[in-house]
Amino acid sequence: MKKQVFILVAILVAGAMTLSACGPTATPTTAPPATSAPATAAPATSAPATSAPTSAVAAATEVSEWDYQSADPQMTQWQKVLDECTAATGIKIDRQAIPRDELISKVLLAATQNQLPDVLRIDNPDLQQVADTGALAPLTDYGVDLTGLYANLIQAGSYKGKVYGIAPGINGMALIYNKDVFAAANLQPPTTWAEVESDAAALTKNGVYGIAFSAPATEEGSWQFEPWFWGAGADLSKLDSPQAVQALQFWVDLVNKGYASKSVVQWSQGDVNDQFMAGKAAMQQNGVWNLSALEAKKINFGVVPIPKPNGGAAPGPMGGEVLTIPNSKDPARMQAAGKIVNCLLSDKEMLEWATLQAYIPSRQSVAAQSVANDPNMKSFVDAAAAELSRTGPPANLGPNYNKVSQPLWNAIQAALTGKSSAQAALTAAQQQAASALTP
Amino acid sequence: MAHVVEGAAVKAAAPTLPQVRSWQRRDRLIGLLFLVPAVVYIVVFYVYPILYNILMSFERYTAKSFVTGEAPFIGLGNFRRLVSNPDFTTAVWNTVLFTLGSLFFQFTIGLAIAVFFQRKFPLSGFLRALMLMPWLAPVLVSGAVWVRLFDMDYGTINFVIRSLDVTSQHIAWLTDPHLALISVLIANIWIGIPFNMVILYGGLQDIPGTLYDAAAIDGAGPWEQFSYISWPLLRPVATVVLLLGLVYTVKVFDVIMSITRGGPANVSQTLNTWAYSLSFSILDFGLGAAAGDILMVVVFVFGLLYLRYAYREIREVGQ
Amino acid sequence: MTATVATQARGQARKRAKSWLWTLLALVIIGLMLFPFYEIVNISFMHETDILQYPPPFFPPHPTLDGYRQALSTAVGYIQSSLIYALGTVVITLLVATPAAYALARVRAARIGSLLLFVLILAQMAPGIVVAISLYAMFSHLHLLNSYLAVILADSTIAVPFAIIVMRAFMIGIPQELADAAVVDGAGHWRIFWSIILPLSRTALITASLFSFLFGWGDFLFALILNSNPHHTPITVGIYRFIGGFSVEWPSVMATAVIAAIPATILLTVAQRYIAAGITVGALKE
Repeated sequence: MKKQVFILVAILVAGAMTLSACGPTATPTTAPPATSAPATAAPATSAPATSAPTSAVAAATEVSEWDYQSADPQMTQWQKVLDECTAATGIKIDRQAIPRDELISKVLLAATQNQLPDVLRIDNPDLQQVADTGALAPLTDYGVDLTGLYANLIQAGSYKGKVYGIAPGINGMALIYNKDVFAAANLQPPTTWAEVESDAAALTKNGVYGIAFSAPATEEGSWQFEPWFWGAGADLSKLDSPQAVQALQFWVDLVNKGYASKSVVQWSQGDVNDQFMAGKAAMQQNGVWNLSALEAKKINFGVVPIPKPNGGAAPGPMGGEVLTIPNSKDPARMQAAGKIVNCLLSDKEMLEWATLQAYIPSRQSVAAQSVANDPNMKSFVDAAAAELSRTGPPANLGPNYNKVSQPLWNAIQAALTGKSSAQAALTAAQQQAASALTP
Repeated sequence: MAHVVEGAAVKAAAPTLPQVRSWQRRDRLIGLLFLVPAVVYIVVFYVYPILYNILMSFERYTAKSFVTGEAPFIGLGNFRRLVSNPDFTTAVWNTVLFTLGSLFFQFTIGLAIAVFFQRKFPLSGFLRALMLMPWLAPVLVSGAVWVRLFDMDYGTINFVIRSLDVTSQHIAWLTDPHLALISVLIANIWIGIPFNMVILYGGLQDIPGTLYDAAAIDGAGPWEQFSYISWPLLRPVATVVLLLGLVYTVKVFDVIMSITRGGPANVSQTLNTWAYSLSFSILDFGLGAAAGDILMVVVFVFGLLYLRYAYREIREVGQ
Repeated sequence: MTATVATQARGQARKRAKSWLWTLLALVIIGLMLFPFYEIVNISFMHETDILQYPPPFFPPHPTLDGYRQALSTAVGYIQSSLIYALGTVVITLLVATPAAYALARVRAARIGSLLLFVLILAQMAPGIVVAISLYAMFSHLHLLNSYLAVILADSTIAVPFAIIVMRAFMIGIPQELADAAVVDGAGHWRIFWSIILPLSRTALITASLFSFLFGWGDFLFALILNSNPHHTPITVGIYRFIGGFSVEWPSVMATAVIAAIPATILLTVAQRYIAAGITVGALKE
């Protein structure tokens, strides 16, 4: 009996050890390619990441692309833009649309087996972290043209001096208000924090909240809070400064006084827009991408910038998905990827994508065009040049942004639900961020 | 039957002792061969991931590790980071409450409904099949419905409560730090009832009806029949249901994530969901693996204790 | 004579009426349990704008088929893939688990039995993402990625331990005399397994199959990570077609869930019929 147990255990352990031989051991992508190189690859001795491929390489006619526009209408809209670039460059695009929350998982797993796509579109605050792993190639090495783009965008896409990701369109937030409701109450849209609160107070009645915003336990929570945070003069390198507490306290007051629903800690920005469109909120803080839906529903809305405490537009975080070119063993495909990215950044495609998505085109000249097409875009475009990258100055968190953002959104939730005071919540958050940042 | 046994008893006396022993050994070997597909399967699909998880929990495993394969060994670093995090105690405490609460209510309600369905009435088969419907919708979808039901301002539950004049307050099921865990607990109980019900019903069905008939003749009422016949004979199945329930509840993820995301402010996180959030938001997977280790140890200990206790009972009842 | 017949008839009628009372009670219980599911159907017929009304509408105020129109364009493909994954999981699970359950229940090797049982319980503790990482690497090496088989094998990892444990529990309850009688007749393990235990384990097999089906049906993580073929998308992943980063089309999401539930419900109803009473009774009466 004992002997049988021993044999069984031995088999189990031996089996497990042999299996560990075919485990997820990642092959570094910057090393020279293996000897069994495909016919179109460059000579095996050159490392693809550091030298421009020679003209002896045959051009690739197909690239793979991953993005997270997995739902309509964005899915069809992005497909349209991709198809136009296929027509323009002659390069076929094999596209995969992956649900947003799962994209990073898939990217990481694919990286272990060198199966990253040729063009990868990720959310801009994640860019630094992905670039830090060494998985991406500098865009300029593959012929991507960066002239005329917003300076803050280029900075957001840079890591250690090289540009790894650029977005064809960026987005931002503003205060969207219901003109009919404001007119009926004889109110002007707010320009200071005090006015935001008094307007919200006056408009909260009959099951309607004065204002709605989004504060869930995800990056969306930090994202929505950042205009108020930066507007008050706070900085991500110190989460418990008096200015930070002032900003958080402002939100806490709005909720505690009943001008904003307690459910804001549950809502995504999509939920917030649903509330606004259903007439459950007189004002909403939301992104420019909602313009097409609002215009389609024929809601009489107006847009004003999110204010600083005493007036003036608060700097908001830069939003948008950046195009990147992951390193691969096939320089021909990387070249083709560069061509596709260039096409997607061209004026024509940029304007088309930005119009379809209601984003701000990344080139200033094109952005002016989109305001001419839709005056509602004006507030957003004006704010674009001043937008701050979450990973960039002044805090310069780079790949460590998430380590600060997560304690921040937890603090926001703790304060809004009354679990702790704004000061206590932010102090705890700063402690957690500081300890996460120490290696 | 008796006739056959007599004849066979005569036959069985014929073989010699060494022959019987070798037959028994071969027989046991064939029996063990039945285990081979499962053993291979287990080694390939479980032992390896578990060992890998244990290894990962002692390493600094970040996004970079996926790309370059580098994962420096940091000993107990991940465990230390987990335990010193202020939300750790909340997560552990929540896991205990959530697990005990889920198991208790899922089991008792599931058993009650299973006993109820023992009786034959029109449409009972069809209605019994309907009990599994909660499992047919993706958890994401049922989660979204529960969010709607629990909504403070527009939710059905608050609407019913207010209509019945129980209270005029809007109960903040999902956003009140004291209630969020209870809300996900309710949703989890709802999801677990069909599982318990179906298995316990099957177990009850396998108990021969003649036993109940004999007891009824002896004057036993429904409660006695349950305590002296159903419950003891149900023990192997009930043990299994509770043990599996323990494992599944400890692993619960989708339910909590689709309703409160562990919030607000981590008040409804269990060890599993909390470790996952921590891991994925900062892309540090060593932390998640470390939490997985802790959970494995907990289930290991409880499983061991329970099996030791229950195994004795099963042998007695089975034989 | 007629008096007793009449009393008997009246007794029968009363019993039938009482039966329907139980049915009513069952309907109430099922109604409460399934209310969330009712909401899914309810919302699937609503306009997006009606969803946030207060009081929450128990019936769609302006019923519409928009959600279904959107859902139907993709639902059939998703259902097909989900069915393949679910049924595939049942097959693999039964193949691996049934002989193992038999061995653990009937073969007198008690200590290995408990050890293995223990490993099985522990086996389920591995976090999904870790299993996904290991499987991804393994299937990548075997060139199995982006195939139905990869996901079926992965889904079965959820079902197999469960199936072994549950079937073993049922099999232990089968009286030893039946197997002993067969041994005396000269039957080896295979005959006992095939001709005696399997037929008597109908409940166990059906229960294990039911849940294997549901595990395969409800899986999201493995299908997403291991199979990128857009023609192999199951409902759990396909439903994200309507769940965007900026807004969610709830009626379409709910409609997809409802459409998908129909074939699954039919299968489950048919299968449940086989968990009938008195299987062991019939065998013992001999």
